[in-house]
Amino acid sequence: MDLDKVVACLKEIGFEPKINDFQDRLVIQKVVYLLQRKGINSNFEYNLHVRGPYSPELTKEIYDHKRSVEKLETSSKLNNAESKAVEEFKELFSGLKPSILEVAATYSYFAFERHQDVMTALQNVKRMKSFYSEAQIAVGVSKAKEFLFQPSEKELAEMKEESKAWQDASLKNMRG
Amino acid sequence: MMMNNDFLSLIKESEALNSSVFSLIRLQLLSSIADVGKDGVAYRELKAAFGVSDGALFTNLKFLEETGYVTSKEITLEGKKLQSYQITQEGLLAWEQIKKWLKKFVECGGEK
Repeated sequence: MDLDKVVACLKEIGFEPKINDFQDRLVIQKVVYLLQRKGINSNFEYNLHVRGPYSPELTKEIYDHKRSVEKLETSSKLNNAESKAVEEFKELFSGLKPSILEVAATYSYFAFERHQDVMTALQNVKRMKSFYSEAQIAVGVSKAKEFLFQPSEKELAEMKEESKAWQDASLKNMRG
Repeated sequence: MMMNNDFLSLIKESEALNSSVFSLIRLQLLSSIADVGKDGVAYRELKAAFGVSDGALFTNLKFLEETGYVTSKEITLEGKKLQSYQITQEGLLAWEQIKKWLKKFVECGGEK
């Protein structure tokens, strides 16, 4: 397990977590999972739990090294490919919204780790995250695909368009 | 003969278990909450995962709380207040004991 690398990723993202805050711990769990799927391997083992993919060892480590995680102290340096992946992550998941990260990580687990077809993976996400709106699920799934799937230019444009429509609808809804 | 010994020790060990936890929903709840340790599980996550009614979920969580196996607290996620459940030390010990016993139980009665 390489907590130093996790901290290096958080530093690159610019996320300064408060470990006692539930939301921040959840964000770390999902960020690390999605980055591991992208190839930045910090060697934390994830299994499917009631919350989606989750690593009990990661939670233990961040509590055991609370100070250095909160202060983003690390001796690890990301290589070019890792930095590029983090940049891509930052751009796609700006704001680090827990709901979007949760949906994206859960979809990634079913679609890319379990290799379920799109419909089955989506159904499983909807079942586990039934407390999230259709719009939140659509945005999370779309971002997971954009981050981890290697689409053609045409497919990428279609996904961005689909994600934009849901985000616009969600914003409109929030503004009432 | 070995089987008899195992069977007898199973019976003896079962006396130390809290049999009131032995319902499917209570075992599922205890297992899920124990799995995530300090982080705890939100009520809505348990409801989504097990697809049980609010009445059944609330009653069984209340039972586990009263037994001292789980505690609950309010957490905030994206500005929303949620009820979250964490395993206690006592709950974790009980769950470990149950898992150990169930494993032995299955192996004892397993196919040869």
